[in-house]
Amino acid sequence: MEAAGLAMLALVILLMIASGLPAFIVLIGVSVVFAAFGVCSGAFSYSLLTALPARLSGLLETDLLQALPLYVLMGALLDHLPLADILFRAGARVFSGTPAAPLLSAIGVGAMLAPMNGSVGASAATLSRVIHPRLISRGTSAERSLSIVCVVSTLGVVVPPSLVLILLGDTMLRAHTEAINATGVRARVINTQDVFQGALIPAGLFLITCIALAWWLGRRAVADAAPPGRPLGPGEWVVAILAPLFIVGLLASVVTGYMYAVEAAATGALVLALSGLATRTLRGEVLATVLRDTMAVTGALFAIFVAATTFTLVFRAFGSDRLLAVAVAQLSGSPTGTAVAVLAFIGACALVLDAFEIILVVVPVVMPPVLMQIPDPVWMAVLTLLVLQASFLVPPFGYAVMMARTRIAQRLDLHLVVRALAPFVCAQLLVLAAVIAMPQLTRLAKPGATAPAPLSDEEVRRRLDAIPGINPQ
Amino acid sequence: MLLSACVSAADRAVAATIAAGRWVVVPVSLLLFLQWPLRDLVWSYSSQANDLAQWLFALYVSLAMTYATRERAHLAADAFAERYAAPIRGRIARVALSVCVVPWSLFVLIAGTPMVWRSVAQLEAFPETYNPGYFIIKASALLLAALVLIQALLDMTGSDRRG
Repeated sequence: MEAAGLAMLALVILLMIASGLPAFIVLIGVSVVFAAFGVCSGAFSYSLLTALPARLSGLLETDLLQALPLYVLMGALLDHLPLADILFRAGARVFSGTPAAPLLSAIGVGAMLAPMNGSVGASAATLSRVIHPRLISRGTSAERSLSIVCVVSTLGVVVPPSLVLILLGDTMLRAHTEAINATGVRARVINTQDVFQGALIPAGLFLITCIALAWWLGRRAVADAAPPGRPLGPGEWVVAILAPLFIVGLLASVVTGYMYAVEAAATGALVLALSGLATRTLRGEVLATVLRDTMAVTGALFAIFVAATTFTLVFRAFGSDRLLAVAVAQLSGSPTGTAVAVLAFIGACALVLDAFEIILVVVPVVMPPVLMQIPDPVWMAVLTLLVLQASFLVPPFGYAVMMARTRIAQRLDLHLVVRALAPFVCAQLLVLAAVIAMPQLTRLAKPGATAPAPLSDEEVRRRLDAIPGINPQ
Repeated sequence: MLLSACVSAADRAVAATIAAGRWVVVPVSLLLFLQWPLRDLVWSYSSQANDLAQWLFALYVSLAMTYATRERAHLAADAFAERYAAPIRGRIARVALSVCVVPWSLFVLIAGTPMVWRSVAQLEAFPETYNPGYFIIKASALLLAALVLIQALLDMTGSDRRG
């Protein structure tokens, strides 16, 4: 009966693709059917399911989730206010000495805005609207422009303090707590700030690589193939200078722990809204649209939380988490092999599921058994982020690629898109390989952090013994 | 005729309730921003701001989930299913609502009512800070389920008014 949970997982993925129904309905539907089956077959009691309302109420009082509408509000404001446009034009002026200026400016705008945006989808929407037409007007090919939009849209996955990082941090905290409780090992539980700091250096490496690639690819572009656009006024220059300083300050305050992520998100949303009101760009219909978009996207994301909470309750009721622990334990002899196998599974899921679905449905069930074997949760968290980012970039099903292609509403030859994205995907995979080979990259941004001691054979055996149902040879 | 009038009235009531909730994100943002200066500069009232924001947040997301349904904003992987004809997609959606969403929301309402009733009856306060309003968070879970149920029933009857 423990295998029922795995059937649930497979059925969810199958139904999501085949039915086209919203993910939350599929998750709830599969949970309802399997819960009825579980109770009728005696696999678990009805009273176990009555924990659901309390779990839903628990979701509503989670401090961290308060950041959700704030990030979505920031994304909606960025989508409807001219900040992204001002930053792009300012960047193009600053780098005007090189023909690669538009590409470099696009990367810079994405690096600043993507972490503030709610999700990859929201970033792709904003950046497709702001960056794509401007790159095209400056002589960049449509495929190259699409590839840049895709890459910068995914920067929010790895550059803190994005919503994806916050949610993964929280999910990893729960998974690590579960792993520690199951094995009885004494260790400090990972928190969201650890994930922020762990992601900094790999994100920086990827960003530097992207900037180098953008310069290399754009160096032979025909300079000023089109009019450079309206010059920036003094007020816009002030905005262009203050905005990056404000964003960097906000990121630094969160990464160093001076501010909580929720407070930083609230500050960002409030400053954006006030700047919109002060410049009279946020009023009337624009304000109404921002509020409408914020509520709709917040509701869509929260529905996934609600459905995932229901799903994981039924999944665990079958005892499938223990079965998965056994399966992961028997995957490979080495922790790195286990990590790679689990990451490959997460990467495959990311081809059909959104980041939030993976973080809320897949990670909670596969990560606890992994963390029972691997003593470095920050490393695993950063690897998960990098794998998610890579999966979003792989055409034709990568989430960012699909979103950007939909948004630019232009039919492009898939082969040319693949060719344009290839250097960035390769760079991303190189960073991923570097982090796999050198876990210390995830600790460089945290002064005083030391690597958890590698597990001895005896310790691995002891931990495996602690997992119910495992009898190591 | 009567059924149609009832459906229409229910649809308008849900739309009006949710539309009023759109503004709640503004005080939530303001209160969560204020936490930081209240904690680091004023050295008081930070927990009150947090608790107030918490129950406003709970109300907001309870309304937002149904708003997303009405705005058709839910995440879906429909790259394959977009090839289906509209009537087939409509039929799939109605079956899913009746088999999945309605039983789920009914279960949450039935199983959650005793817990929420106890909390509301004693006007339960936040356990750590003793600030009032904790019962609103628990009641919001029922509000969420009730709105999901009503919207599912409206969608099953073919009501297509949005907003």
